[in-house]
Amino acid sequence: MLATLAFRNIFRNRRRSAITLIVIVFGAVGLILFGGYKSRTFYALRESTIRNRLGHLQIYKRGFARAEAQKPLQFGLENAGELRHIVERDPRVSMTTAQITLMGLVSNGEKSETFLATAVEPDRDRQMAAQRITAGGDLPANESDAVILGRGLAASMHVKPGDYLTLMSTTTTGSLNAMDVRVAGIFMSGVKEYDDRAIKMPLAGAQQLLQTKKIERLIVMLRNTDDTAAVHASLARTLRDVEFKEWSELASFYHQVVLLYNGIFGFLGIVVFAIVVFSVANTIMMSVFERTREIGTLMAIGTPRGTVWRMFLLEGVFIGLLGGALGLAAGALAAVAINHANLMLPPPPGYTVGYALRVMLQTPTLVTAFLISLVTATLSSIVPALKASRLVIVDALGHI
Amino acid sequence: MEAQPVVRLEGISKSYRLGRVRVPALADVSLDVARGDFLALAGPSGSGKTTLLNLIGCIDKPDAGRIVVDGVDVTALPLHRLAGTRAEVLGFVFQTFNLIPVLTAYENVEYPLLVRGLGRAQRREQVEHWLEQVGLTPHARQRPDQLSGGQRQRVAIARAMAGDPKLVLADEPTANLDSETAARILDLLQRLNAETRTTFVFATHDPALIARAPRCIRMRDGVLVRDVIPSVARDLDGRAARIPNLGAPPAPPGPSLTLGMTT
Repeated sequence: MLATLAFRNIFRNRRRSAITLIVIVFGAVGLILFGGYKSRTFYALRESTIRNRLGHLQIYKRGFARAEAQKPLQFGLENAGELRHIVERDPRVSMTTAQITLMGLVSNGEKSETFLATAVEPDRDRQMAAQRITAGGDLPANESDAVILGRGLAASMHVKPGDYLTLMSTTTTGSLNAMDVRVAGIFMSGVKEYDDRAIKMPLAGAQQLLQTKKIERLIVMLRNTDDTAAVHASLARTLRDVEFKEWSELASFYHQVVLLYNGIFGFLGIVVFAIVVFSVANTIMMSVFERTREIGTLMAIGTPRGTVWRMFLLEGVFIGLLGGALGLAAGALAAVAINHANLMLPPPPGYTVGYALRVMLQTPTLVTAFLISLVTATLSSIVPALKASRLVIVDALGHI
Repeated sequence: MEAQPVVRLEGISKSYRLGRVRVPALADVSLDVARGDFLALAGPSGSGKTTLLNLIGCIDKPDAGRIVVDGVDVTALPLHRLAGTRAEVLGFVFQTFNLIPVLTAYENVEYPLLVRGLGRAQRREQVEHWLEQVGLTPHARQRPDQLSGGQRQRVAIARAMAGDPKLVLADEPTANLDSETAARILDLLQRLNAETRTTFVFATHDPALIARAPRCIRMRDGVLVRDVIPSVARDLDGRAARIPNLGAPPAPPGPSLTLGMTT
């Protein structure tokens, strides 16, 4: 009966209850959309950071992180083949790829620029799809003297696919070496500063330039990002004389974004919380005021204080449940609509391409939005409910 | 000889604060209400009859004196601790009916039974019985706003009677009804009183009600002026013997003594 009373009382002043519900629904939709956008952004950024650049794990020679190398690849991995064999035995590992980073000068015969090259295994690196080819083709599989250039660097060198350039760098023994390379293609990563300096070249070519058989690091890709720590732990038990880096240690940009967005989300949560609290508290307070004589009657005919308190609290709970449920539905609908609308957002700072606005509907976001609606509605009805239960019966009965 | 009175008031005083002034509402009132009484408290506005009714109803506290309801001294207990007493022993009928608007007639009658903790079957039996008694069985599913004033007051009476209280208190139960409807409500109340021996106490200035009440206490300025039985001829079961026991001071002289209708 208590629940019946509370429930029916919600529909008594329909307009006021509707306004309260709309406030809660808007709050829930806001939380769901922003939460979903946040999840999607984190997910996309994390996966692109991992798949395109960092891999889930990077394996280096022990000492690489702490020591300043005197010569290129002083802390390089020598037995890459054996290492790779051990790592790839783990079923959670989807792929490994070897890399070397090197710096030097690139020249077109008339002018020189510094370059930052990533030497990769072309067939394996293709799976990481780090860049978009804007002219020519990707790195060919079996051509050690082909390279692809970042768009900015290609423009600066005035080259197009098919042209030749000279790369100069220091070998592992400390002498200077140079090699001619063919420009196979031009790419764009989206980060301008990187595209102005970047070269991608085959590992074999880089080893030839540096006169070595070593690699700098072995990048490990997993099937599932959540396995990172577990795979790290199990490899650390098997492998000797190496050190690991997990993607999250290297992805400082990702962590900054997470921090920023969580801050915004938290602030938004507080704003929604405050609005819902005031709205629901106002509704229940008005309701208590309007029904003063009725409360007096209920108490006169023997309803205990606690029951009156519970009745009004229950009204808050019902408003929260109803608002939360409607909010979930509206939020999910809005998310689907936004994902279908394919809205493009402007490029984020440091990027040259925009991206599509996507909202990811995840259970934790939905549960959080629902719980916030419910908890705030319940909390904000405590004081009005207490007020109702403390009414002086005789005064309440005389209330018009 | 009746065992103990349903209500006993001993030297009750009560005053209200109105701004800075204290307005006396009741001054040293003593009164016994016997089981089966059909008692009208009559008097002009401000004479203290509603205050007296509230005190008997355990929804207000006296400044001095002792109140015993159904053998229990309720004077010392805080009002919120008396919710159980109100639910078990008392029934209330209000001038403005005071039904719960979101509940149907059936549920309004059922409500006090729920408060008492009765089981489903018992509740159904009681509710159906009392709705039939007040002649509203066909309207059980209707909400108060679908009922006429008379019908609403009938629901309120059924609500007060449900659970067989010792005492039903009614503050101006006919004041919001036309005279014909009021007469039928009075018929109903008198019939219930006769059939169930439930005690009824009214605060009223409805002449029709006063005329029908076997026992009528006139109040003025917070004191009981006179305890009379207007229809002595109809009811002579020893009540007249209690008249000298009135806690009121000796009858004041002058027109206040007259039995006529107050205007």
